[in-house]
Amino acid sequence: MTSTARTSISAFPRGHEFDASRFSLSAEQVAAYLHATGDAGDYGAHVPPLAAVALGLRALQEQIALPEGSLHTGQEAEHHAALRCGDELVLTGRIAQRSERQGFVISVIEFEVTAGGEAAVRARATIMAPAGGA
Amino acid sequence: MSIDVLPVVRTLTQTQLNAYAEASGDHNPIHVDEAFAQTTPFGGTIAHGMLVLALVGEMMHAAYGERWLTSGKLKVRFKAPTRPGDTVTASAEAAREADGVAEYAVQCANQRGEVLIEGRATVSAA
Repeated sequence: MTSTARTSISAFPRGHEFDASRFSLSAEQVAAYLHATGDAGDYGAHVPPLAAVALGLRALQEQIALPEGSLHTGQEAEHHAALRCGDELVLTGRIAQRSERQGFVISVIEFEVTAGGEAAVRARATIMAPAGGA
Repeated sequence: MSIDVLPVVRTLTQTQLNAYAEASGDHNPIHVDEAFAQTTPFGGTIAHGMLVLALVGEMMHAAYGERWLTSGKLKVRFKAPTRPGDTVTASAEAAREADGVAEYAVQCANQRGEVLIEGRATVSAA
């Protein structure tokens, strides 16, 4: 199952697979990320993995609407290979878990960023959103 | 073997939240629109969880360098909001080491000692 329009996260069933997204992170984008986070570390030409996770989440939001009152309550990330600025990245994601509690839908979005066909970052974001939120 | 991971301490400002919104593309008004945020249960803007979590990534990268980029793992819960003006301390305490993997209990806390983020980080210790 795929989607091409933004739909509230609470409406996606468990197992829903999002359309793959292609993107890359330029040196300028990474510099802006590091400036914003205040990280003065030396990454050389590498991309901080959490930058890839943050931009991956952003890419998924092209398909997912987060209704008012949504909360990002948990995050997992696994780094498997160092990403470099300019790498052609492919992001794939799905709804790995979904449950409802006290008027909220708790969704776990599982996604993977690959470079050159190899998994570089795997991540899981837990989002709590009002049930039926637009 | 596990090595000491030094804390990262930073005061987050609204300017930084705005810059992070630009860099990440996450312009959710709860982070950048004070007038809107005042109408929410938070009563004002709050930092992006991923911005605060970036301090943990910075801390682990400073200790482990490229090993963090190629073998690091994080699993955290966002437990409380971070507000502009909060001074956040990211810290790591060595928990155990097994099969060449070092595990740390990591957290971010504010100047009042409130835990904002809590979880585990692992990295290849070899």
